[in-house]
Parts: sequence; C-alpha cells; structure tokens
Amino acid sequence: MHTPPIIDVQSIDKFFYTPERLQALNRVSCSVAPGEVVVIIGPSGSGKSTFLRCLNRLEYADSGHIIIDGVDILDPKCDINAIRAEVGMVFQSFNLFPHKTVLDNLTMAQMTVRGRSRHEAEAKGMALLEKVGIAEKFAVKPDQLSGGQQQRVAIARSLAMDPKIMLFDEPTSALDPEMVGEVLDVMKNLAREGMTMVVVTHEMGFAREVADRVLFMDKGEILEQGVPEHFFTAPTHERTKEFLGQIL
Amino acid sequence: MATYTGLDRPKSKLYYQFWSVVFVLGLCGSMALLYFATKKVEYTWRWNRVPQYFLYEEKVSIRAEMEGTIAAIEPTGEASEGNVRVSIKGDDGEESHVLPKSSLLLSSGDYVYAGDNIGFYTHWKPGILVEGLWLTLEVSALAIIFGIILGLFTGLARISDNPALRWSAITYIELIRGSPLLVQIFLWYFVVGTVINSILARADIGQVPPMWFGVMALAIFTGAYTAEIVRAGIQSVHRGQMEAARSLGMTYNKAMRKVILPQAFRRILPPLAGQFISLVKDSSLLGVISIRELTKASREVVSSSLQPFEIWIVCAILYLVLTFTLSMFVQYLERKAI
Repeated sequence: MHTPPIIDVQSIDKFFYTPERLQALNRVSCSVAPGEVVVIIGPSGSGKSTFLRCLNRLEYADSGHIIIDGVDILDPKCDINAIRAEVGMVFQSFNLFPHKTVLDNLTMAQMTVRGRSRHEAEAKGMALLEKVGIAEKFAVKPDQLSGGQQQRVAIARSLAMDPKIMLFDEPTSALDPEMVGEVLDVMKNLAREGMTMVVVTHEMGFAREVADRVLFMDKGEILEQGVPEHFFTAPTHERTKEFLGQIL
Repeated sequence: MATYTGLDRPKSKLYYQFWSVVFVLGLCGSMALLYFATKKVEYTWRWNRVPQYFLYEEKVSIRAEMEGTIAAIEPTGEASEGNVRVSIKGDDGEESHVLPKSSLLLSSGDYVYAGDNIGFYTHWKPGILVEGLWLTLEVSALAIIFGIILGLFTGLARISDNPALRWSAITYIELIRGSPLLVQIFLWYFVVGTVINSILARADIGQVPPMWFGVMALAIFTGAYTAEIVRAGIQSVHRGQMEAARSLGMTYNKAMRKVILPQAFRRILPPLAGQFISLVKDSSLLGVISIRELTKASREVVSSSLQPFEIWIVCAILYLVLTFTLSMFVQYLERKAI
C-alpha cells in the first residue's frame, strides 16, 4: 500500500500581482500515488487551475516543494523540460498547433524532445489516433475538426510522449454539450489503463465514476478530500455542502 | 459586389456598371487634362528619346597603336560576318586589328600614325536608367535580407526576459525610429564611412564603397520597423500555443522556432510587405551619397536630355514595377502559407 507518491506537493504558495497582491494558493499540500485518479473541483477563482499548472511549472509556485517522480521541480537546477516530457497536459482550449496537420501535431514533440525518428513517431501517432477514434482525420488541419475531436487529438498529442502523469485542465469546459461524452470516454479508458491523472473539471458524473479521490478547493486551499462516494454523499465542510448544493 | 455586407439594400447591376464607367472616364479625363495642360505650357513630348536610356548602341573607335603602313586587309573567318583583319607593318614590328568591313576608313597601303582612327565597331550597352534600376534592386534586396535578419533577432530580444537584450532592442528601435532616414544616411556615409575608410586607409587595406554604407543605413532603418512587426506578430500568437509546446517538454527556442514563429510569420506578411515596399522607395534617398540608383540616374538623364516630364514619369513607373512585383510575390507567399 505504501508506494512512494509520484506527485508530492509540500505546502506551496502562489501569489499573483494583478497588480494588487492576490494569494492564489495558500499552503497547499497534496500527494498522488502512481495510477491514482484525482479530481479537483471548486468554484471559479478557487485556485484549482493554478494548482494544476504549478504541477508542470507553467506557473512557478512561490514557496514550498513540488516533487514529481522524485525530482523537486521548484529547484532551479532541475531540468524542467525533461520533467514536462513525463507530464502530459490537456488544456481547456485544446491549444493544438493550427499550422500543422493532426499527425504532425502528434509527431513534433516526439521527434524534437524524445528524439524519435519520423517513422517511429508517425507509427506511434497513428496508433494513438486510432485509440482516440479519429485515425481517418490524420492529414487534416485542426481547425477542420469539431471541438470534441480537437480535444481528443490534444489528449493523443500528450500521450504520444509516453507520459507518467496526465494533467487535465477543464478539458470539457469549452465543448458543446454533445461532444463532452466522447472526450470523457477517452479519459475513462485512460484511467482504466492505470494512468496517473489529475483532473480539474466540473463534470461531477466523471468525478463520481472515475475518481479515486476528489479534492475540493476554495480560496486557494484544499478544504476537503475523500473518495467520491463519501465526498458526494456526506461532505463535512460547510463550504463543500454549499458548493455541491449549487451544482447538483 | 465582394464588399456587400448585407447591411444595405442590394445594389442593381446597372449601379456597378454606371460607376465603373465613371471611374474609367475619370482616369482618362485626368490623363487628358495633364496632356493638354502640358501642351499649354508648350512642352514638347519626345518619348522616342527615352529608349536610349534603357539600351543603346555604343560606338568604339579602333586606333592604330604605332606608326606604319597597312600591309594587308583580309577577311577573317566566315565571309558572312563581314569582319576584316587589318595588319599594320612598321619599323618597330607588326600589329593587327579585327573590325567590321563597313566601318573601315582606310585602304591597303595607307600610311598611319599612332592614334589614327582605322575604323570602329558597335555593341549594345544597358542605358543609365537600367543601370540605376539594377542598383536600386541590388541595394533594396541586400537591405531587405539584412533587415529581416536584424528585425527577427531584435524582435526576439525585445520580448526577452534578459534586461540587457530587451533594453538594447528598445534603445535601437527608438533611436532609429526617432530620426529621419536622410540624416541616418548622412551619418552612415559622412561619419561612420569616414571613420572606417580612414582606418582602412591607414592600415593600407582597400576602401568600402559608398553602396555598402547605403545598404547598412537602409537595413538598420528597416530592421527597427521589422523588429516591431515581428514582436507584434509573436505576441499575437495565443499564449496557449507556447504553453502547449512547453508542456510537451520543448525548450523555449524550439517552441519559438517550430510553433510560434511559423504562425507569427503568416500574420506579419502583409505589414512586412508594406515595410519592404517602403524600403524600395526609400532607397531613392541614397543618391545623396553618390550611389547612382534609379532616382539619381534619372536626375542625371534629366539634366542631360532636358526631358524632365518623360524621364520622371518613366522613373515613377519603374519604381511601381518594382514595388508591384514585390507586393505580388508577398501575396503569393501568403496564399501558399495558408
């Protein structure tokens, strides 16, 4: 039971100066075991996206430690690019490279970061497109795809790097309702295969079904966490009850 | 009809035909007006004198190099060419010249002194306007190439986190944008040029011709504007693109090269084209430092031919040809890039 955590966040703070000082994260600590699926929920402005972005240092936490797979990424001497190659990230707005075809989107980082040959990268890319169900669209540009298809390509792009951890930043929030399902299905499959996942989402159904643990964040702090059954049926914290009451 | 936005009542076909005719009539009318106005001031148009400034036949005299008698005049090679070899025999030896038979001024047995004209041959040479056009093209092309390189790196430095790089870029851009190009050309030629050429002269190395100071002035001027265009282009690419590339483990440089710049390049093509068209036109200032580009060449032709109307119109048209070609080329690039 006591495998060392793959993500170990120790008391991080994050301030934004917009220009008034705003504490986005307040002494947040959290650890994630390999293969665990953690879903973070909370009202907007609660710091959940900031927290997620700190995990691959898209935001630089101001203090504390973030240990990813044994390496403290807040140590200025660490090779952040090597860490990021192991940590996939899926964005709310997909952020596919619009000037490249779908397949090139998948092969670019494989070749430049992993140093794979084009042949190898394309084989891997096609296999992943097959897996997310859009192999037939490999030669088109991303803007010709629907939102759901784009997000599935974005997931495949991250998976192409063979990451150990996948971060999802509200992956379905920018999608039309009828496309949410196809993206969630891909994520569910991924969870079933044992990928370590940290997911910020408003999809409570997904949290209930897939999450091993649900974190509730508000005002830069983790207020409550627990297994979904317990979390959704018997929340203890006042703020959690209020939030769940608003959305369920 | 392409601009019809649907906000107004659709216009009839007659509407477009009528106003097209108005446009054409206006164009012809103003040209006719110009023509009659010049008639009024008794200007004589002599368009037939213009072609010689593009291409002309040069006459080259052939002169005897020593004193002697013409010993022989015999056809050379194939008779159809009409060339003859003239041999002169003198006390100091022998010499021979090949020239067209029709231009021969002497006959066999004539006595010639050194420097006497034996005949002449002709050949076609590019006129002064063509030479000026070519120099304008050369200077502009070099300045564009250096300007792009300079602008790209300055633009990148402008958004760098490194204060030394960023402030250098800002200083450069503000300095260059804040002074007239003509003054910069003078500075390059009379200050930098004098210093460099004096040092070179002291070291007994060759001199740098004025053209290169002209190219430097134009390139550095354009580089400052290009840098701002490049910066705006890079900043117009959505933040998420850089984040996505970095989140995949790409370094800043790789992400810039593979993800950001290709997207930025497409967006900055139109303003870049405008900048380079400006550059071609600005090269007309280089005449002041004795670079004989198109404008200076035209000025020389005007002062020798006394046909200012024709020459300045031709000069303007030649610039138009250059800029229009450049503009078409960029449009082609734009279409290809999408």
